[in-house]
Amino acid sequence: MTTQLALTALSASDRGRLVADVSTAGSIAAPYWPLTAFVAVNPLGGLTNLAFADATAAARGWFGARTHLPLEAYRAEHARGTVTDADLDRAILRHDPSLVDRQPLDVGGIRMDPVELVRWDLLHGPVAEPLPPRQTGTVADALDEIMTGWCAAFVDEAHTPWPMPDRARGFYRSWLAVAGSDRRLAAVIGRDARGRLATLPDDPAELLDLVLRTRDISDDGRIAALRTWILRTPGWAGFARWCDQWAPEDRDAMRLRMLDLAAVRAAMDHLAPEQLDLYGCADPAAPASAPADLERRVDAVISAVGGDHREAIAELLGSIDDDDRVAIWLAAHEWNFRDRLLARLTGPVAAPVTARPDAQLVFCIDVRSEGFRRQLEALGAYETYGFAGFFGVPVRWRPLGSPVAQARCPVLVSPRHEIAEVAVDPSDSEAAGYLSTCSATAGLHDAFYAAKGGIASPFALAESAGWFAGPVAAARTLAPPRTSLDTSGTAKRPWWKPFGAAPRTAPVVDEVAGVSQHSGLSLEERTLFAEAIVTTIGMAEFAPVVVLCGHGSETTNNPHASSLDCGACGGAPGGASARIAVAILNDVEVRAGLVDRGITIPADTWFVAAEHDTAADLVTIFDRDTIPVAARTALDALQHDLDVAGERNALDRAQRLPGNASRVRDRGRDWAQVRPEWGLAGNGAFIIGPRSMTAEHDLRGRSFLHSYVAERDPDGVALETIMTAPLVVAQWISSQYYFSTVEPEIFGAGDKMLHNPVGGIGVVVGQSGDLAVGLPMQSVMLGEQRAHDPLRLLAVVQAPLDRIEGIILRNSGLRQLVEGEWIHVVARASDNDAWSLRTPSGGWEPWHLAGDSTSDHRLSLATTDLSTPLSI
Amino acid sequence: MTTWTDLPAMAKIEVVVDGDDVPAVRDLFLEAGSTGYTALTGLSGFGHGGHHHGRLLFNDRASLSMLITVVPIDRAEGLIAGIRRLLENSSGVFFVSEVHVSRPDYFT
Repeated sequence: MTTQLALTALSASDRGRLVADVSTAGSIAAPYWPLTAFVAVNPLGGLTNLAFADATAAARGWFGARTHLPLEAYRAEHARGTVTDADLDRAILRHDPSLVDRQPLDVGGIRMDPVELVRWDLLHGPVAEPLPPRQTGTVADALDEIMTGWCAAFVDEAHTPWPMPDRARGFYRSWLAVAGSDRRLAAVIGRDARGRLATLPDDPAELLDLVLRTRDISDDGRIAALRTWILRTPGWAGFARWCDQWAPEDRDAMRLRMLDLAAVRAAMDHLAPEQLDLYGCADPAAPASAPADLERRVDAVISAVGGDHREAIAELLGSIDDDDRVAIWLAAHEWNFRDRLLARLTGPVAAPVTARPDAQLVFCIDVRSEGFRRQLEALGAYETYGFAGFFGVPVRWRPLGSPVAQARCPVLVSPRHEIAEVAVDPSDSEAAGYLSTCSATAGLHDAFYAAKGGIASPFALAESAGWFAGPVAAARTLAPPRTSLDTSGTAKRPWWKPFGAAPRTAPVVDEVAGVSQHSGLSLEERTLFAEAIVTTIGMAEFAPVVVLCGHGSETTNNPHASSLDCGACGGAPGGASARIAVAILNDVEVRAGLVDRGITIPADTWFVAAEHDTAADLVTIFDRDTIPVAARTALDALQHDLDVAGERNALDRAQRLPGNASRVRDRGRDWAQVRPEWGLAGNGAFIIGPRSMTAEHDLRGRSFLHSYVAERDPDGVALETIMTAPLVVAQWISSQYYFSTVEPEIFGAGDKMLHNPVGGIGVVVGQSGDLAVGLPMQSVMLGEQRAHDPLRLLAVVQAPLDRIEGIILRNSGLRQLVEGEWIHVVARASDNDAWSLRTPSGGWEPWHLAGDSTSDHRLSLATTDLSTPLSI
Repeated sequence: MTTWTDLPAMAKIEVVVDGDDVPAVRDLFLEAGSTGYTALTGLSGFGHGGHHHGRLLFNDRASLSMLITVVPIDRAEGLIAGIRRLLENSSGVFFVSEVHVSRPDYFT
């Protein structure tokens, strides 16, 4: 037990420094967005000021987490042929360029190159012994469990029988008001728990100051100490980080502040019979596994190939520790993927089409669009483009009758405008009736689920509604509903929405006609957004029909449903964004303004909004009744081809999903289905360039595709926009998948079968515990088999290298990602140029294939499947 | 005749930080009892970190921001200590100056 110090008033300066230290300490926790609008984040996002190698080393220490695949998994990749000896040799030399100058060693009478020796060790050397499992059931574990319960009770308004007191004064004060009644806490603290709790200061900063002084923590050690408390519950720390950094200012729900979180955990620690080692997590080099014994590694080489030179071999292998070994394997794996992709993209490009296409379709850059686009392009004279799925219009969207407006844009952007959906004819009595019924049934829906999720209310609910809910549940289990293939736009109705035709609605984009003071956009703003859409993707000619196609994923009984929706729309379906952008682009005043900016959209071109349901592979076209008669024939033909493309894409996806292939489109409707689709699993590259670069290739849904034509962007503004926003968001997604795959328990959300929603914001695994962050195991794994290759994102850009270089150098966040090797960048100026790699130290070097550089080798790589390890 | 020096003196604190650090500075302002602040986002210019190009079209977090607050001089000490400590671990600069205000009740 610690010495008790007297409570002293905290000076203003000390308070300021303490608040700053909590902020710095908490920055290690990646923000956790509530699941209602899931946002993929880099779990190590707080460490991107460090290079990837240093950040992963720090994460291994702080989180006790794995940051790479185990050695055995990489070796399995080698056995599969997705990492070759040549890839390994290249990665070894990148890791230690001095090996080139080392003399070969005589091993067993064979002169072995040092690179070969290291490769042998990587392929066959002893594997590090896993550390014994961490001791559980400790006092600290018990306090963590109590802590997570109080966090949930504080933020959870709907599911607690009574709210915590003084919540408006923050988590620490609210907890302090009731902690004396917590019997579990009293059992851990021991004698006179209530009395000792009563001695704690009322102010969280004063509490932290008291505990830090009691533990005699120096100024230099304070951030590490605070971080230790904060990271005892990394999930809730992530939510606190979101509350502090990202939560909308006008959010009504309780804010869990990092200062309060640290104070509560520090208070528990302070009163516990044994305290945490505050420096236990502070060693960034602390290994997650015991190092493989160097002697054993040397013995293994000598026993395999004989010979002597023991000292030289030990010196060589001693320079490459276990962390280096997996880092080299990761680099080799990435070289292989890069070679295969670039070999493919070095081939002939699609011939330019001069005739006016029947239709142009702009899809989201999401990797799931690639397969669908390829299927559709094969069916007719269609041109497709890739653009972030919010279509460049960052707004809050207020659906018809909704009291709430939600941001429909990437979280990097703070929307300044609101767009409301209104009934086209508000005087229509059917519209008023619809809204009224909608409100009533939505209330019923909310009441049902609130009662279902409560603590005592489910018993009453079972009594009162069981006669209805029971048979419905049995029916849904025994005969999961099928997806309606009706794409007329009327089939997508939640059960709680009223029957009958919904009123015709439209987004009000014009601020003059706006429904409230801050609703709508000025003509200047609308014209600017329209210009950005057209110029960013390099659109020069326009078809009679141009479809802006957002995407969403209709799934049921899935707390992570929004993770399958559009990330560029803030974790929401993209249909609303498409409708808003279409309303802007069909506006005659906007089009007139575009002419002044050098963009002429033909009078016979009509923009149409649509949404791709990626679970069912259905594309629904919105607002059909507003489409001019002249465009309807083309649109009917297009709808037919969209249906066919969906069917073919679903069949393709079925090859990688378990279960009945014929029911692949129904998976989202099946409430027992833990894997309605693969989402963005497999993502590996972000390709910025014209579609002609990729149109000839099946990229297996592994690439974000952002359209870009360098010739139409002479000042580089569009490329800077792409590289500083969509590319950054894709890097978050890539990292989320990477770390959820290599460490599903700590950086992923664990087993979905055991999830229980908590607080309306997240899930816990089992009955209690920390918030489970990241992606569920079922999103990246199929049993023991990986559905995702954990690789760092590869950005492939077709643009002048000096333009790309300038953008990297003048954007510090992007520069950190590139030079810290969080992403790799390859580029070429045009179809006729060779690819170059951006080096971490600055500058570019030519890309060439590993090992054999003959054209036959390139061809064989170009035809190699780009699939992930999953093959069913 | 009243001159500007007759107006009550206060401390003006201007902080230039990365967009990601704005919430931390805002928290320090509020913790120090600041009654309000002004935020200028998307700053451009040239400095220790090279050129800064100002606002990006779809990323409000990547550019520099300046937060400005005015507090009574006796409240400035804690705020200055907090910002100095914060900037030991992240990039940014801050300036403190004495200003005279016409409506001191706005800032207390």
